[in-house]
Amino acid sequence: MNPEWMNELKVQCRARANDGSTGKVWSVFLLPEELEAVAKRLWEEGFFLEDIAGMDSAEGLVAVYHFDHFTRPGRVVLHVTVLHERPEIPSISPVFSGAAWHERECHDFFGIGFIGHPDLRPILVPDDLDGYPLIKEEGQRASLNDLLIPGEILDRNPDFTLFQQEIAKQVVDNA
Amino acid sequence: MGMAAVDMPDSLRVMGAGYSIESLSPDTLTLNMGPQHPSTHGVLRIILKLDGEYILSAEPVIGYIHRMHEKMAETRTWVQYIPNMGRVDYLNAMAWNWAYVGAVERLAGIQAPERAEYIRVIASELNRISSHLVWWGAYLLDLGAFTPIMYGFEDREMILDLLQDLTGSRLTYSFFRIGGVAADVTDGFLDGCRAFVSHMRDRLPMYDDLVTKNIIFRRRCEGVGILPLEMCQQYGATGPVVRGSNAPYDVRRAEPYSVYDRFQFHIPVDPDGDAMGRYRVRMAEIRESLAIVEQAVAHLPDGDVLAKGAPKPRWAPPRGEAYFAVEGARGKIGVYVVSDGGRKPYRVKLRSPSFSNLSLFAELARGTLFSDAVSILGSLDLVIPEIDR
Repeated sequence: MNPEWMNELKVQCRARANDGSTGKVWSVFLLPEELEAVAKRLWEEGFFLEDIAGMDSAEGLVAVYHFDHFTRPGRVVLHVTVLHERPEIPSISPVFSGAAWHERECHDFFGIGFIGHPDLRPILVPDDLDGYPLIKEEGQRASLNDLLIPGEILDRNPDFTLFQQEIAKQVVDNA
Repeated sequence: MGMAAVDMPDSLRVMGAGYSIESLSPDTLTLNMGPQHPSTHGVLRIILKLDGEYILSAEPVIGYIHRMHEKMAETRTWVQYIPNMGRVDYLNAMAWNWAYVGAVERLAGIQAPERAEYIRVIASELNRISSHLVWWGAYLLDLGAFTPIMYGFEDREMILDLLQDLTGSRLTYSFFRIGGVAADVTDGFLDGCRAFVSHMRDRLPMYDDLVTKNIIFRRRCEGVGILPLEMCQQYGATGPVVRGSNAPYDVRRAEPYSVYDRFQFHIPVDPDGDAMGRYRVRMAEIRESLAIVEQAVAHLPDGDVLAKGAPKPRWAPPRGEAYFAVEGARGKIGVYVVSDGGRKPYRVKLRSPSFSNLSLFAELARGTLFSDAVSILGSLDLVIPEIDR
């Protein structure tokens, strides 16, 4: 059920999601520095990048990467969260050329800086726009614990602090 | 050094990285195509650097019709946002309606009744055909043929009349509801579908005689814009663009939704990967969509068209997230919704197939003739409002 390559990825948290109710098969949470290796492995396994959705949450700015496959369907979702004060994530455009445009859009809407991006100019918003349109107003940010549904958490780094309730519930269910 | 002291005009500054005065050479021509141009299918700008007729670089510039739909999602209720979907891709409004409504239904665990699912399929497949007819006519117009669009639009008018009978709109449908569709079909609609299927089947051989077999058309498309499958994977290209490169990837089969598994239809692919291959895929898809409409009309079950207790305008779903994808006319449409339990979405991400398909153009057009670039662009079947959202 768990493909080899998924188990070999170095990430913070790996969860098997409910495809029918969330549309994803794998929920993966990683640190910015872990992204490049995971992207390379997904490329080698034949995945393509559907999109990069940014999100503003209490924990920080999140880049949500949606990957799918032409012959082995099953959405793999990567989540990279960075602090509002230092929103920097390495660009995966050296691995997936199409990421260049998705990262520009994400930067347009959230101000996430993609390190190593060849050309991080505005792509959709005007060049002289002040601010980032999808950043939430004061008091409007919700926690990722209340927004995301990771699924069954298979393994995680002890430093990974999200989804404590889910984890506790799983321990009880499996006991 | 003298050049560097000159105040750079705004027009050059906004051209983008690598286009400083210093980098221009007297042997290359920098040509601006768009944003107003008959062959860019909307407000698309392409900055071309040409060496004679050969393209050194072709950089698309988008955003001229960016309306920030994803922000609008956060300032309207879940139900109020449905009409926005028709304005994302006005030629394939049914598919965008479906992608959004499907994501919300998945998030909230709402199931549309069977009859509604059949009606969704009929409406979406008719929409796919009408979209392909616009693409067909406009593509030929780009290539300099003025007649095919007249025939294409004549047949498309029959679909628009049918969908107007069903929804009240000719083009920007807001027909889907969370939990079903807005209205039931009339008997006139079903008869009209049967008549249209029969009529269109009789017309398609004429399309092939007029265009597909035409030697001038074939010379403009065969061998032009050969797209390797690896490039499709690099850029996330989907729809007829990837199927023209021999990959039978179709969301209706890969991520089955609704009642598509009840219908017999093929997924056309073409091995050549050129503009002609993508053309052949779309023409074959028209035939497949006709078959689906015919079957769905024949087996339309009784029942409601909207789930009991379907969301009212100020409804709030539970907290959570969901991704839903459909096979649109241009490729894989994805909508990702996130809810904090409030009356307005926390986040809606619209995944546009044309955005990904266009992103490969810069690499694909490099080294080609300018006239081939026009053919390549048309073969991607882009709708700019879908790219910009």
